[in-house]
Order: sequence, then C-alpha cells, then structure tokens
Amino acid sequence: MSINLYPCRYSRRESLVELGAGFGGTALTGLLSMHGDTARGDVVNPLAARPSHAKVKAKSCIFLMMNGAPSQVDTFDFKPELIRHAGQQLPPDRKYINSGGRRVGYLTPNWRRFRPGGESGLLISDYFPRVREHADKLAVINSCHTDSHAHGSALVAMNTGKTFIGRPSLGSWCAYGLGSENQNLPGYVVILDKRGGPISGQPNWSSGFMPSTFSGTLFRPGGNPILDLQGPDHITPDVQRSQLDLLGKLNRQHLSSRPGSTDLAARINAFELAWRMQSQAPEAVDLSQESQATLDMYGIGRTPTDEYGRNCLIGRRLVERGVRFIQLYSGGGHLEETWDAHESVEKNHGRHGAEVDQPIAALLTDLEQRGLLDETLVVWGGEFGRMPFSEGRNAPGRNHNPYGFSMWMAGGGVKGGMTWGETDEFGFEAVTDKVHLHSIHATILHLMGLDHELLTWFHQGRQESLTDVGGHVVQGILA
Amino acid sequence: MLFRPAISVLLLLSGGVPAEDTFEPAARVLITRCLECHKGDDPSGGLSFESAATLHAESDSGSVIDRDQPANSLLLQRVHDHEMPPPVKGRPQPLPQAEVKQLKQWIAAGAPWPQKRELDLYEFTTDVRGGRDWWAFQPVRRPTVPVVDNVNHPVDAFIFRSLLKANLTPAPPADDHSLIRRLYYDVIGLPPSFAAVNRWKKQLTQDRDKSTATLIDELLNRPQFGERWARYWLDLVRYADTSGYERDQPKTHSWKYRDWVVQSINDDLPYDDFVRQQLAGDELDDRSTESLIATGFLRLGTWNDEPNDPADYVYERLEDMVHVTSSAFLGLTAKCARCHDHKFDPIPQHDYYRLASVFWAGPVQSRDRKYLGGPSPEELGAGDILGWTDLSADPEPLHVLKNGERHHPLHPAVPGPLSLVPDLFAEFSAAPVDASTSHRRRQLAEWIVNRNNPLAARVCVNRIWQHHFGEGLVRTPNNFGFKGERPTHPELLDWLAAELIDHNWSQRHIHRLILTSQTWQQSSVHPAAAQYSVQDSQNRRWWRANQRRLDAEALRDSLLAVSGELKLTIGGEGFVPDISREALEGLSRKGTDRTPSSADQQKRRSLYLFASRSLAMPLMTTFDQCDSTLPCGRRDSTTAPTQALAMLNNDFVHARSNALAASILATGKGNEVTKAWTRILGRQPTDAERLLSQQHLSEQQQRFKPPPGTSEDGANPTAQFQALASLCHVLLNSNEFLYVD
Repeated sequence: MSINLYPCRYSRRESLVELGAGFGGTALTGLLSMHGDTARGDVVNPLAARPSHAKVKAKSCIFLMMNGAPSQVDTFDFKPELIRHAGQQLPPDRKYINSGGRRVGYLTPNWRRFRPGGESGLLISDYFPRVREHADKLAVINSCHTDSHAHGSALVAMNTGKTFIGRPSLGSWCAYGLGSENQNLPGYVVILDKRGGPISGQPNWSSGFMPSTFSGTLFRPGGNPILDLQGPDHITPDVQRSQLDLLGKLNRQHLSSRPGSTDLAARINAFELAWRMQSQAPEAVDLSQESQATLDMYGIGRTPTDEYGRNCLIGRRLVERGVRFIQLYSGGGHLEETWDAHESVEKNHGRHGAEVDQPIAALLTDLEQRGLLDETLVVWGGEFGRMPFSEGRNAPGRNHNPYGFSMWMAGGGVKGGMTWGETDEFGFEAVTDKVHLHSIHATILHLMGLDHELLTWFHQGRQESLTDVGGHVVQGILA
Repeated sequence: MLFRPAISVLLLLSGGVPAEDTFEPAARVLITRCLECHKGDDPSGGLSFESAATLHAESDSGSVIDRDQPANSLLLQRVHDHEMPPPVKGRPQPLPQAEVKQLKQWIAAGAPWPQKRELDLYEFTTDVRGGRDWWAFQPVRRPTVPVVDNVNHPVDAFIFRSLLKANLTPAPPADDHSLIRRLYYDVIGLPPSFAAVNRWKKQLTQDRDKSTATLIDELLNRPQFGERWARYWLDLVRYADTSGYERDQPKTHSWKYRDWVVQSINDDLPYDDFVRQQLAGDELDDRSTESLIATGFLRLGTWNDEPNDPADYVYERLEDMVHVTSSAFLGLTAKCARCHDHKFDPIPQHDYYRLASVFWAGPVQSRDRKYLGGPSPEELGAGDILGWTDLSADPEPLHVLKNGERHHPLHPAVPGPLSLVPDLFAEFSAAPVDASTSHRRRQLAEWIVNRNNPLAARVCVNRIWQHHFGEGLVRTPNNFGFKGERPTHPELLDWLAAELIDHNWSQRHIHRLILTSQTWQQSSVHPAAAQYSVQDSQNRRWWRANQRRLDAEALRDSLLAVSGELKLTIGGEGFVPDISREALEGLSRKGTDRTPSSADQQKRRSLYLFASRSLAMPLMTTFDQCDSTLPCGRRDSTTAPTQALAMLNNDFVHARSNALAASILATGKGNEVTKAWTRILGRQPTDAERLLSQQHLSEQQQRFKPPPGTSEDGANPTAQFQALASLCHVLLNSNEFLYVD
C-alpha cells in the first residue's frame, strides 16, 4: 500500500488551486507527484512527509510559549539606564497605548541581577540562571514587536500572524508544508499548562481555513495523551481488536460492491492507523522509559519544576518520534497564573521562572547530548513584552508592551551566543533591527526549510500565507 | 497633444501594419501587464497609461516614449531589461515575445492613441484577471432546453446532452434502498427507519416516478427540511452563539436568527425577500419582528471588545460585513479590494468602500461593551433581538483609504453597489427626508435581488445544486470570479437561475426540479466507472451520483436517530453539550463557568448545539464542521485516524451503542442481530453478515463474562448486553452507516 494513510478526497490535480495547495515554484512539482496520478484516482496523504523549499536546518520545532508575556528588561534585555532613571517617568515623547487603562508608574530597573553567561557573555538575569549556562546556544532577539497589547489578540497573533481569530497557526503551516515523519502520531502537538488554556482558546492552535487535519492536537502529558484514545474500561484491547476485525470484514465487503472508492478505502486504513496510535501515543508520553538521571535533570518529581519538566521531556520524545511542531505552554488561565506580572514582577517571574528554568535548560542539554539540537529549533517567548515602568508607586508590576520585547531561538540553523536588535535605552520599544512578529514567523519557517512567501493556501480568492505581505527572515541569526 | 506623423512613414516604421491598427494590440498589453500599477491619481513612477495625455506627461523618469528614436524609448528599454513588468519575489517576469513586438510596432508607429480612448483595467478579461466581460457578470439569459431523445426532464436534457457529446452514458437509477436513504439525508439530514424504507420500497415498485415525487414532497414538507438546509446557510453567514476572543461573550438571542432561517426555508420565503430581510429588515416598509431578527445576519461575526486599536477595528468590522454580504449573496471576494483594486476581478478599490459605506451608518464604532457591537434596544426599536440598524440617516462620509491605511484617507466614498455591471450601477440615493436610517442597506439589497443582477440567482441555485450533489455546477461556490472555477454546465446554471427568478424566487421549486431529475437519481456506482474515471475523474459531467460521507451534523443526528433517542424539538435556545474534562483544558477558564444542558436537551439535533467560538465540540470539528470565523461555502470532507478514534472511543458514541443495545433487548429476546442491522442500517443482514454478527456476539460475550464463580445463574445479562452493544458499535462505525450512496 502506498501513502494513503491519511487520505482525503484531495486527490485531484485540477483542483489543486481550489483546495488551496500552494507551495509555489519548484516545490509544486513535488506536490503534484505526491498528489499522484489523478487518472488512477490515487489518494493523497496530506500529512505525508514533504520535501521542503530549501535545505532543511530544523526538522522539528519546539516553541516554549511563555503565556502572559514575560518582561524583557527583567530577563534578556538588560537596561542600565533604568537604574539611572529609576523613579522617573518615561519621557513623554514615547507614545503608547496604556493597555487596560492601568496606572502608569515610574521607570523601574530589573528586579533581578543580570550576569554574563557562557563564552559569549550574553547577559541573562537571575530568573533564568540555568538557561544562562546555555548562553552560547541562544540567539536572543531583543527587538521584537507585535500588533496588539491585549492578551487575547496578541496570543492569536503570535500563533497565527494576525490579531483576529480564524487563521491557521504556525504549527498548521509547518504540518501543511512539511507533513509528518511519523504517521502514528499527530504532526502538530500542543501541551497546555495545567492551570488552563491560553486566552482565546482553540483559535490559537486552529488550522483556520485549512482542513482540520492540520490543526494542533492537544496532548496531555501522561496516560492517554490524545482525546478519545481509549474507550470505556470494559473495551479491552482484545474486545476492540475483535470489533475492528468484524468492522474490517464488513467494510471490505461494502467496498467490493463500490470498486474504486478511495474514500471508503481510506477509512478502512484510518481504523488500522487509529489502532496503532492507541499504543504509540501513550508510549510517547510514558516517562517510565527514561533514566532517573534524565528525570532529575528536568526536575521531574520535584516542585515547582515537575510539570514543565515533564512537558519538555515529552517534547524531546516527540521530536525523536518525528513530530514536526510542538508547543509547550508555560502559564495558563489568567493574570498571575500566567506570566502576566501586573502585581509584582518579582513574585510572578520568580514563580514562573523557577518552574521553567531548569526544564528548559535540561531540554537544551538533552537535545544536544542526543545529537538532536542541530535539527531541532527551540523558540522561547511570550505574546508581547512588558513596560519598563511600574504600575504606580509601590506597585511593583509592569503593564503590557507590544512595542518591544525579547524572544530567543536555539538549535537547528541558529547562531548561538548572540543578540539581535535593540530596544531604546529604557527597553520600551524596538529601535534597531526591528523584528516584527511576521519576521519571527518568517525566520522560524525558514529554519524549518520553508519559504514564507511560497508557502501559501488559496482561500476565498487570495493566496494566503502566514506572514501575509510582510515579514523578512532575520538573516543575522542564521548559522 | 497627439503626435501624428504622415501615414506612409508610419506604415514603414510599423512593419507594414497601418499605424492606427497598432494601438489596440498594444493597449491590450498595457492593460494586461502595466495598468494595474500605472494608473490613477498616484501612479507608479508617476506614469499612467490611462490616456494619451497621461502617457505623454513627464513621468518620474521623463518621457517614456522617445518620438525621435522610438527604438530607444524608455518603455521599451524597461521591457527589454526585464525591469518591467517588475520581478515578483525576485523572479523576472519577461513579457512574451509577441507582446513585446506589439509594443514595438505601436511605438515605432509613433504611439498613436485614438482620441478620447481611455484604458480601463477591467474593460476585458485577460490571462491575469477577469474583466467586466467575465461570464458571471453577464445577464442571466434563459437558454432553450435541449431536445434529447427520451428525455423529458429539463435538468436531464442539459446533463445528458453533454454526456452524449462525450460518449458517456449516465449511471443506472439508484436502487430503491439507496434512493430512499439518499432522499432522506439530502432533504432532512436524517436516516429513514427500517419501516419507512419498506413502506416506500413497496410504493416505488408500483410507480417509481410518482412515488418518488410523493416522497420528495413529503420530505420537503417536514420541518426537518428547514433544519437540514438552514445549517448550510449558517455556515455561510459565520453563525455562532458567542463573540470569540478573551471573554467570548454569548450573543444573546442569536438563536432567534437561526430559527428564522429554519422557518424561512420551511415557509419557502422567496429568496429575494430572504436577502432583503437579512440586509435591511429594519428598513423595510413591512418591517416586523421577524425581519428585525433577520438583520442578525450582520451581527454574527466575531466581535472583539478589546481591540488593539478601536479606530482600526472599525475597519475590520466593515470588512467582516462586506465580506459576508459579498460571499453569501454574490459569490465574490469583494474584501480583496480593501487596500487596492481587486487583483483578479473588476472590483476597484472605490467599490469596496461603496459597500463599506453601506454598513458605516451602523454602530461599528467602539462603544459600551454591553451592546456587543450592535445597536441598543432603543436604537433597534425592539428588545431581546440580536439585530442591526443604522445610528444615522446621513453619516459623515467614509473615506477610501490609501493601501487600506486609516491614516491615509483619500476621497470620500460614495455609497453604492459594485460597478461591475454598468447597466445596473447607480449611486445610492440619500435617505428619505424623515428616515432614521440611511436606507443604504435597503438599496443594496434591491440591487442584489434585481432580476437583472447576474449573480444573486446563479449563486443561489449553485448552492442548492452543490448540497444535493456534493459539488456545485460552479465548484467554488463563494467565488464566481476569475480565480473561481468555471461552471461545468453554464446553460443549466442559467436555466436554473431563470427558473428561480421566474418562480418568484422559490428555492423549493429548484429543490424539486433537481430531486425529480434522473441525473440526481442516478446510482453512485457505474458499470463503466473504471473507464469513465480516466475520462472524467472529477465527475464534472455528472455521469453518476457522488458517494458522500455524512457531515458532522448528520452523523451525530443519525447516531441519536438510530438509537431511538433523538428529540425532534424545533427551535429555541441552543443546548450546551457535555464535553470531556480533557477537552475543556483548552479553555483559559477551563470551562468552570460552563453548565451542560440536561440530558434530554442534549439529544436534540446538532443544529441546536450552542456554538461557542472558543470551544467547539471535538466530535463535530473532527468531522470537518467548519470554523465559524469566516463564511464557509463548502466544507472539507477529510478522512483521518482521529475520526476513527472518535467513533471508536468517544463516550457519546458508546452511549448510543449502549442505548441501542438496551432498547433492542427491551423488545424481547431473540433476533438481536436482525434488530441491530435493521435499526442501524435500515436493512436485513445477508446470511453471511448474520453469521459474522452472531460470531461476534458469542465471542464478545465470552470476553465480557465475569470470571467463573462470580455469577450463579449462567445467563449473564451484562455480558449479553455488552456483546450486543459491541455489535451495534461496529455497525455504527461501518462505512455503510457513514456514507450515502
């Protein structure tokens, strides 16, 4: 049997445009051949691994999503001017929207000390002491900016490129562009924080106007990770196998009087695939196969690192199993349950930093030790940044800031030990080598071997793409 | 001033072509390749090709035509250097040699330009964009029904003629069982009971045509017909019961709009009124509660109460309304013209703002959250309705925005319809003197349903055809423009459109026409399928029926129907389904404020599912229920292992298997296998199937038996029940259950 594991009815060369497939240029040839000889009515597997546009640097991406928006001036963007100007107001020539109409306080220096890390001496604060040990692997982009100051729309923007819901997410574009290397697992996996999902929910991992095959699959870190992976208790594997055997016989009989129906054949295959997923998906999250040393390295079994440690380790296991795009949320629900440090940066970032610092550092170590870091892109960041000023006197929190913030990338194809771009002297807004979120997306796609201008989907009269008509690959951070 | 050298010289220079004849071919090249950027008030490089005057005006690089040395003209140089047309994404776009030659000849002839001739980007269709001569913008003309031997149904006449031409023969009629089942699903979205199948089979044997027609009418008269077909419309108008975004507020009373759609379909409300009420129900002379509810059409989109920039967000809302209006009623992508003239269809940017002006008079600006982006009850003149109205009869003008950017307003837009049918175009009049609304929406609605509007009827009948056949005559139902597909049978499309208009816009008339045709009643199996699939793999000539998978709603409804649990209560507020704790983890509030409806409510048809934008029911999205953010004219129909997982393991499906087993056992002992088959598949099992089923029952019963010694009386009802439920589960998972022939 050829590649008809996830077949759908999109087998028709003539309607490529209608279904939206648009890889552009030379890749189209590959797509056409993947779509098979239409005359024979071959079925197509939308998740079959596909050739990329360019030489692949990263095969997989792990996006460490710091939901709620960490403060750049307290983590990766050191601003000594804040110390000098502490207690003063942001100069009035700096214009911004005061998100939520909160109190506007005074310039406030970093809450924890910055120290140099690695040979590069990259300055990273004490909220991330363990990540700092990996400084030489990181390309820190300090000049990020985005299009919304509100969590709901900014999260959706970081995930889909636009501030409004309804578009395919970054992971969907990767799954669509590259397919999956493991047909027994979803190609795009999202693990949420146990405290809750991100604001706006499902649209953050939706496939928008693309088929739902490309949408993110929520994974739970243990037991049965995927929804509907197991039926009621009395349906044991034996019982189910017997059901599938009877079903197979009936379906084949049904097919025999309807020869040539690819949909029917596809659905027969889908049941066998589902059967395999039922065993492989739990295996992917079964951490009992890991050594105690590995578990310890991630901080699993200890507070407060247990949860994110598990998620990061599962992330590595999914990368090993060929999953294309993995997003791991830190922070869930609202306000202080996320990185949304309105009340107190120290309290909030102290708490969340402690949860994720060791797991993230362990992930980088682990990937490197297994030779996977070269082909895995690790991205860290939130939906925007935070203001360099407080929310009032004796109000040690910071408000939302879409004008400048920091993200970092490490691994496949990324130059380490460097920073890119700058914010102004207060860390308020990106001023040098600005990187709009479209450019962040363009760069991630590029590192995954996809050209953000060629990866398109024809929808309602328009070639849609993740970056729309904007975005440039940040060449400066490429290895 | 035009340069006019002596004709004889020009003949020489232009390679023997009379000078004046060099213009039109060159104009064609200019329109196709150059005019998109080189036109308007602010043309690229200061050069416009719209008229002789603009051609000869000094561009940023001086004059582009060198009259003394034509061969050295800047225009030609740029073309030769592949600078023009400009490279796309770094790739040069050289002009075809033939076109270069046409430009050369024209310039060599002194670039003659007929007096008063102005070039227009959209005057004709080129190989890169559609013009006003595009097929879909031409008037609907009722074609003569072709005469085909032994064919007396007009739909068949059109279809069979084209099959004959291609040397194809239609598939034989569907067998009785398939025909009955297909009719039920097509018209009401529910399976026939075994008893109904038998009853109709008997009648069909007596007089097939007459009985089929009777069955069609019987089904069209059921209230479930409106429920089934309303769903298609709700997809198109991005229906949901919440606003989306952070708070995802319920759109209280949205369900009344849904019920209005169901009722309109069941009442066969003429399609023109259907359009009028949705766009302008508040402005009509016979305004009623129902027509106010219909304006909910404009309220159904997502609504962000905390946009990044409220002033920008106004334009997003306008786009939402322009888009839903142009997609649903016109099958056009007018929104593409928000930032620039439409790249592919004759919709200049001004047209987009004409349409946007229509909605501009309403409450699009940021205001108190409690109104959820709509009018207050006082403004609407009615409470407890999710409706729309204008806040002013004569609002400040909306400006056309350069590149769609708010900070770069150009001239004020004049409210009006699209200009792509010049004969039908007229700017909208001001509102009547004492009107409280602008009457722009009403005028737009009248323009849409004007019987000379080429799009409304075509788009409408195409949708009906699509939902009966799985594909439309135009296979891109929301795009009749240049990037859409051409109709497979243009004459049939027009004939149906003419029928719709001439039968007082009765959609039911079109349903009947289609359902009574042999074309629709064909079998999905064709004896020559192997050969025909080579010739016409996509069944564009309709040589057989398309086999179709149940969509998400029909699947869920069928599960409830065959288990005997379906509640056919019509209308009212939607029900909140049980969703597993695992699936709720995706919500930022984890669904703590979510209370599922009573078990009874949850057995209603899927149409009544409360549609939350932040949390769709996983079973439904797995089976390709569409996203409710944008209008959806055609759902995907995928096959994926996650669907198999859902059908195998989901609690909802298991609950149906159990209910089936329980109700079969409740009818008394014996014949369990037959009862399961007839209930689920509407037919008796064959001997082989009966044997397999029996084996399954006994095998599973063994597996479910409690360990020896735990049961005293030998007969174990639990094991028997579970084994029967297991058989039901298998049948509910079968392709025969999920697919309609």
